[in-house]
Amino acid sequence: MKTTLTLAALASMALAAGCATKKGFEQPGFAFGCPIGDTKVSSMDDLVKAKTAMEGKRTTIQATEMRCTKAGDLMKIDANLNNDSSTVKRIAYKFRWIDREGMRAWEEETWKPLMLYNNSNLMINGVAPTPKAVDFRLILMSQE
Amino acid sequence: MRTYLVLIAAATLAAGCAKEVTSYGDARGIETVSNQFGSTDLQMIAEAMARSMQQSPAIVSGNLPIVTVQEVKNKTSEYIDTRAITDSIRSELQKGGKVRFAVDEVAMGQQVGEIKRQQSEYYARENAVEKGQMVGAQYRMEGNITSIVKQVRDTKDVYYKFNLQLWNIRNGLLEWSDEKEIRKTTTKG
Repeated sequence: MKTTLTLAALASMALAAGCATKKGFEQPGFAFGCPIGDTKVSSMDDLVKAKTAMEGKRTTIQATEMRCTKAGDLMKIDANLNNDSSTVKRIAYKFRWIDREGMRAWEEETWKPLMLYNNSNLMINGVAPTPKAVDFRLILMSQE
Repeated sequence: MRTYLVLIAAATLAAGCAKEVTSYGDARGIETVSNQFGSTDLQMIAEAMARSMQQSPAIVSGNLPIVTVQEVKNKTSEYIDTRAITDSIRSELQKGGKVRFAVDEVAMGQQVGEIKRQQSEYYARENAVEKGQMVGAQYRMEGNITSIVKQVRDTKDVYYKFNLQLWNIRNGLLEWSDEKEIRKTTTKG
C-alpha cells in the first residue's frame, strides 16, 4: 500500500515537473508569442534584451515586458515601458520591421514622442504594416 | 562719435560675414520647432490610422475592398493641409496591400478628362479606354481634425484630435473609426 502511494506521488510529481518545463502552447522559435529564431530566450528579460535597441541619446527608460500576438495576418506587439526614476522622462520610440530574410520589411517608421510620468509604467503597442514583417526591434531614444 | 561709427561698422561686417549653414536632417525625426501642426504630427497620425484601419473587420474580411478618400475637415484654427494626411494614409494602406483605392472626388476631373482625351480622334479605337468601365468604391473614408489651444502667459498648450471613419457606401454603416490624440506644450523662458 505504502509502495503504491509512493509510486503515485512520484508519478504525479514527474507529471507536474513535465508540465512545468513546457512553455504552455509556445511554438518552437517563439517566446511569449514573439519570434526569436535561434536566439536562446529563457526569460522575459532575455526577450526584452533581444528585441530592444537604443539609438541616439541613451535613455534610462527600460522595456520590462513584451508580448506578441497576431491580428489577422499582422504581427501585434505590446511592450511595457518603465520609468523607475523620480522625474518625468521624455523619449521617442519606433518599431523596426524585419522580414523572413532578415531584411527590412518596411521603411523606417517615424519616431513617436512619449512622456512617462515618474515611477510609472506605460504600455505601447505596435502593429506590423505588412504580413511580410515576421520579426521586429523596438528602438528607444532619449528626448532630453 | 568716431568709436561708435567703428563699432557699428564692425557689427555690420560681422553680421554680413555670419555663415549660413544648411544640412539635411531626418525626415522622420521629431520636429519641435514650434507647437503648430508639423511633420511629426502628420506622420504619426497617418501611421496610426493606417495600421488601425488595416485591422478592421471590413478590411480583414473583405477581398481587397475598394475605398474612396473623402474630405478630412480641418476644424482647427490653423492652416493644415489635410489632403497631405489622407495622401499619407492612402500610401501606407496601398503599400500594405489590403485595400484598393477608387478615384476620389478631387481626381475625378482628371480621370474623366483622360477618358475623354483617349476617346478623341487622335487615339486608336482598339486601345482607347471605354466609358462606363470605372469601378465604384465600397467604402468611403472621411474624418476631421480639431484642436484646443490654450495660452496663459508664457505657456501655450495645443491639443489635436484626429478622427477618421470608414463608411459602408451601400448600407451607410460605420464600419471602422479611430482617433489619434496629440498634446504639445511650449513654455517660453
